[in-house]
Amino acid sequence: MTRHLPAIIFLLPLSLAICLPLIGIKHREWCRPMAFAVIAGMVLVSIANLVGVLQTGTIHYAFGGWAAPIGIEWVADGLASVMIVALSLLALICVIFISSVLFPNLGSRIVPFYTLVLLLVGSLVGMIFAGDLFNLFVFLEVSALCAYALVGLAGGKALVAGFRYLILGTFGASLYLLGVGYLYAETGTLNMADLAERIPLLVTSKAIAVGVLFMFIGLGIKMALVPLHGWLPDAYTYAPDRVTPLLASLVTKVALYGWIRIMFWVLGAQAVIYQIPILFLVGVLGAMAALIGAFLALSQKEIKRMFAYGGLSHIGLILVGMSLGNQTGFAGGVFYLLNDAVMQAGLFFWAGAIIHLYGVRTIEDLVRLRGGPGWMSAALVVMAMSMIGIPPTGGFFGKWYIILGAVEAQNYLAIAAVLIATLLTLAYFLKLFERVFRDRSAQQPPLMREVPLAVRISLGATSVAIIVLGLMSDHIVNFLLKTAVPPGL
Amino acid sequence: MKRIHDSLIVQTMSRLLIPLAQLFALYVLFFGQYGPGGGFVAGVIWTTSMILTFLVFGLKSPQGRLVEKVLHGDGVGLIIFVGVGGLCLIGGGEFLNYANLEIPGLDAPARRYMGILLGQIGVAVDVAVTGISIVLSLAYHDIEQEYHV
Repeated sequence: MTRHLPAIIFLLPLSLAICLPLIGIKHREWCRPMAFAVIAGMVLVSIANLVGVLQTGTIHYAFGGWAAPIGIEWVADGLASVMIVALSLLALICVIFISSVLFPNLGSRIVPFYTLVLLLVGSLVGMIFAGDLFNLFVFLEVSALCAYALVGLAGGKALVAGFRYLILGTFGASLYLLGVGYLYAETGTLNMADLAERIPLLVTSKAIAVGVLFMFIGLGIKMALVPLHGWLPDAYTYAPDRVTPLLASLVTKVALYGWIRIMFWVLGAQAVIYQIPILFLVGVLGAMAALIGAFLALSQKEIKRMFAYGGLSHIGLILVGMSLGNQTGFAGGVFYLLNDAVMQAGLFFWAGAIIHLYGVRTIEDLVRLRGGPGWMSAALVVMAMSMIGIPPTGGFFGKWYIILGAVEAQNYLAIAAVLIATLLTLAYFLKLFERVFRDRSAQQPPLMREVPLAVRISLGATSVAIIVLGLMSDHIVNFLLKTAVPPGL
Repeated sequence: MKRIHDSLIVQTMSRLLIPLAQLFALYVLFFGQYGPGGGFVAGVIWTTSMILTFLVFGLKSPQGRLVEKVLHGDGVGLIIFVGVGGLCLIGGGEFLNYANLEIPGLDAPARRYMGILLGQIGVAVDVAVTGISIVLSLAYHDIEQEYHV
């Protein structure tokens, strides 16, 4: 039974997504509880899958019974299983947040809305498990199509942002597919394990080098690596507040995971393109992204936009950790990735909640928060501590392990990048805190509104998760070092 | 584009051609087991017959109503496909491993035959419905108002 679990995790959201349009004709109100139940089931199955993988080793799932190089294969190894557990837990919290009474009623569009959310979650599962490059592309496209539609759902400016996301995202996917085509032309296979055997024999091939660069640029657009991030700030600012956490915490992170999979499991950590080690290239771009993202966040006035730029800087930090070329750096990067997914979800929960509770969109408006429920501010403090990197939160330990890895690799540029990005993050959160806690200029009576239960649950869960990740960081990183480190590192 | 075609010649010819196209779609679907063809092509041919229906007779006619009703079956094709895969899972094999298709009273070759056929029917239904909904949304549905989410 254990060997079927990867497929079952994927089939749960997919089956409900395709049944919902039929169920929705008669019983529109069933969408919400059914989506919740299915994703809760996904959490249980993914935990069972992780346990199974730890006991019996990597699961290779051959669809249709056709063995790997010919058929389609899914690979559930340690890293993928950990990612799936994180993904399903975050999806569960996001679905709770989505169902909050805070947001306007969707009416008849609740059916397509939940269909899109479930399809998005299902396709992200597919991306994580995909054992060959082409399937990665297929699920990348499915998830992106759902994301475009969810961004554009609000109409108005969101439609423009969604359309821009669509154009750039499709461009990225085409580049990725072109790169896959180059690799296929040169090696004759798409399976990742098969490619990993054949590529080292072809290191001098220009087609491979160009193909890899195309794939990197394509996935770079999807993960919003800084020079290629143009679509992200607008898309996240204007997207409906209920879906922004889902997009921010999952979509870009899974694209980043796709690149990690290709970089370490297909090309190998020692791969060189045109005399440039690929890890060096990724490290420099990551450091740039970390700094530029944080700088841009500093100059923002809208809260959601500021958090979106903060997310860009964290994508860079994760890449810096990955690019150090040692196990500590890699485990630190993965740990920071998990943290960042939780932090982004939490920050956008917070931003969405204050927009609908107090009408706060910009930093100027934040004064209205004073006198409101104290634990809204407390959640912000926890999240900010983690974003900046203050113990005992997960963000601190993530950065700590990345710096440890950098010391081990004697890469002082990386240390400098992490530290400067930390200072910049501190600076832009101080701007927020100044308005929330210190500014006494405007003494207007706060709008007292009861915070809905769903928002309390989702904000509380993410805040607790951030602290638990911090307190358990030693165990988690050791666990990642044991189970999730790529071969040859 | 919204005008119904009133030429008697066109209407009569369509009455002849539409069933023929649909029959050919079925032929392609079943022949796809052994030769070129299959679910995708069959679905496309079926779609063309439906498009011809509402171009010639209009959406308000009984035939056109049928087309609009079909749209509710958005997920039916996928349900059939995933259902076949799920039956294989229940039978103890991998997803879509037709050798394990859990339909009682079938031997191994017949299971593979049924598995491929049912899967192709699912694909055909899905392609047909998607094709029709693309044409309808491009040509007939008005631009809807702005939403607040």
